[in-house]
Amino acid sequence: MDYARPTELEEALLLLKQKPWTVLAGGTDFYPALGAGPLKQDVLDINGLPELAGITETDDHVVIGARTSWTEIMRHPLPPAFDMLKQAAREVGSIQIQNRGTVAGNLCNASPAADGMPPLLALDARVELRSADEGQRLVRLSEFVLGNRKTALRPGELVTAVHVPRHATAGRSSFVKLGARRYLIISIAMAAARIALEGERIVEAAVAVGSCSAVAQRIEGLEQALIGRYISNISELVVDYPLSELSPIDDVRGSAEYRRLGAREIVERALLQAAFTDAERGVAA
Amino acid sequence: MDFVSISVNGTELAGPAEPRNLLVEFLRANGLTGTHVGCDTSQCGACNVLVDGKLIKSCTAFAVELQGRSVTTIEGVAVGGALHPIQRAFHDYHGLQCGFCTPGMIIAALALLQENTKPTEDEIRAFLAGSICRCTGYQNIVTAIQAAAEQMESGNV
Ligand SMILES: Cc1cc2nc3c(=O)[nH]c(=O)nc-3n(C[C@H](O)[C@H](O)[C@H](O)COP(=O)(O)OP(=O)(O)OC[C@H]3O[C@@H](n4cnc5c(N)ncnc54)[C@H](O)[C@@H]3O)c2cc1C
Ligand code: FES
Ligand code: FES
Repeated sequence: MDYARPTELEEALLLLKQKPWTVLAGGTDFYPALGAGPLKQDVLDINGLPELAGITETDDHVVIGARTSWTEIMRHPLPPAFDMLKQAAREVGSIQIQNRGTVAGNLCNASPAADGMPPLLALDARVELRSADEGQRLVRLSEFVLGNRKTALRPGELVTAVHVPRHATAGRSSFVKLGARRYLIISIAMAAARIALEGERIVEAAVAVGSCSAVAQRIEGLEQALIGRYISNISELVVDYPLSELSPIDDVRGSAEYRRLGAREIVERALLQAAFTDAERGVAA
Repeated sequence: MDFVSISVNGTELAGPAEPRNLLVEFLRANGLTGTHVGCDTSQCGACNVLVDGKLIKSCTAFAVELQGRSVTTIEGVAVGGALHPIQRAFHDYHGLQCGFCTPGMIIAALALLQENTKPTEDEIRAFLAGSICRCTGYQNIVTAIQAAAEQMESGNV
C-alpha cells in the first residue's frame, strides 16, 4: 500500500493521473469500511492541500472547499438559506464524526442516507471537479450522485469544492431527520425545505427528500404547487401531493410504507419550520 | 514502513509505523494503553483523543496522518500526578463501573468543557452521543461532568 499526502493540488492531480488511489478526507466512511487484514488500496490523503480548505464567498457563489468539516459548516456565518445544512451537520453521527467528516466526502460516498444531500440539492449545489488533463468542471449535484455508491467522478478526478449559487440562497430553510433514536443514527428519511416569501405568499420553494429513493431528490411537483400560495396552505398542499417521486424500500430500519408516511410528515414539518421563522422575521422587520 | 513523529501529551512520540497502522494502534504499541478500542465501526468512542484540541476517534485515523500534530490522550490529563477535576469527579460521583469507556469519556468531557464551561444536561448528553457506556446508564457520567464543570468554574480544583 502507498500512502501519499501531497501539499499542492497540482501534485495531487498528477498522482491521480498515474494510478487509481482511494481519496482520504475525514475518513469517517473510509475507516469503518476497512475491516481487518492488509490494506490493498493506495491512499491519497487530501488533508495537506490548502486549496481545498475553508468556505469562501464570491459575488455569485458560496464555495465550500472539499476539506470543510461538518463542524466548520455549523460554525461559519452563512445566510438563513443554509440553516438546513447546519441542522443536518448537527445530526451527522456525533461530535467526533462532525469534527473530521467532510461535506464533500458525504456526497462522494453516495449513500442514499447521506444527510448532506437534501439540503445541498435544495441549495442547487454544483460539485467542482478537477483533473490533471481536463482541468475544472462543474456538475450539478443531481447529476453527480447517480445511484447507491455511484457518482459521476471520472478516473483521475478529485472533488475540490461544492458551489452554492447565490440565486439559490434566498429565503429561510429547515432540515428534519427521521431516525430510530436521536443521535448516532442512519436516517430512515430526511427532508430539507427552503422557501422565500413575499409577505405570507410563497415566491420560491425548494424541497428535497433523502433515504426514500436510491438518490435523494428534489420534489419539483410540490415546489410548483407551493409557489404563489400562502404559508397557511402548506399543510393541505403537502397532504394532497402524491409524492409519487419516492420509491422507498423495506429494510431493517423501516418499511417502505413507514418511510412514505414519515416522508410526508417531515416534508410538512420542514416547510412549516422554514415558513414560520420567515413569517416571524417579516413581522419583526 | 514510515517513520512517524507525533507530539503526544507534550512529548515527542516517534517510531516506525506501517501506513496502515491506526493512531490508536501506534499509541498502544508505544505503551500508551489508556486509549481503548471498543469497536471496529467508529461508534463507541473508547478511543477518543484530542488532536490539536479537537475531539476525534483515534481508530478513525492512520498514525501517518497525524505526522507533526499534537495529540492529547488520557495519560496526559492528570497534572503533576494529581487527578484532573474531571477525573476526580468521575471517581467521587461514580461515573464509572467497569471503566472500559472511562478514558474516552474523560477525554470527551475535557473537549466539551473546553468549549462550554457550563453545559446543561442536554448539552452533555448530546456531546457524548459518540461515546458509548455499557454499564452506567450515563446518569452518573452526566452528574460527574456537571460537578467537574462547577469545580473548574469556581476555580476550586
Ligand atoms: C459513527 C458514524 C456515524 C455516522 N453518521 C452519519 C449520519 O448521521 N449521516 C450521514 O450522512 N453520514 C454519517 N456517517 C458517514 C460519514 O461520517 C459522512 O458521510 C461524512 O460526511 C463522510 O466524510 P469524510 O470526509 O469522512 O469521508 P471519507 O471517509 O474520507 O470519504 C468518503 C468517500 O468519498 C471519497 N472522497 C472523499 N473526499 C473526496 C474528494 N474530495 N474527491 C473525491 N473523492 C472523495 C473517498 O474516497 C471515500 O470513498 C457516519 C459515520 C460514522 C462512522
Ligand atoms: S474504537 Fe470504537 S470508536 Fe474507536
Ligand atoms: S463503565 Fe463500563 S463501559 Fe462504561
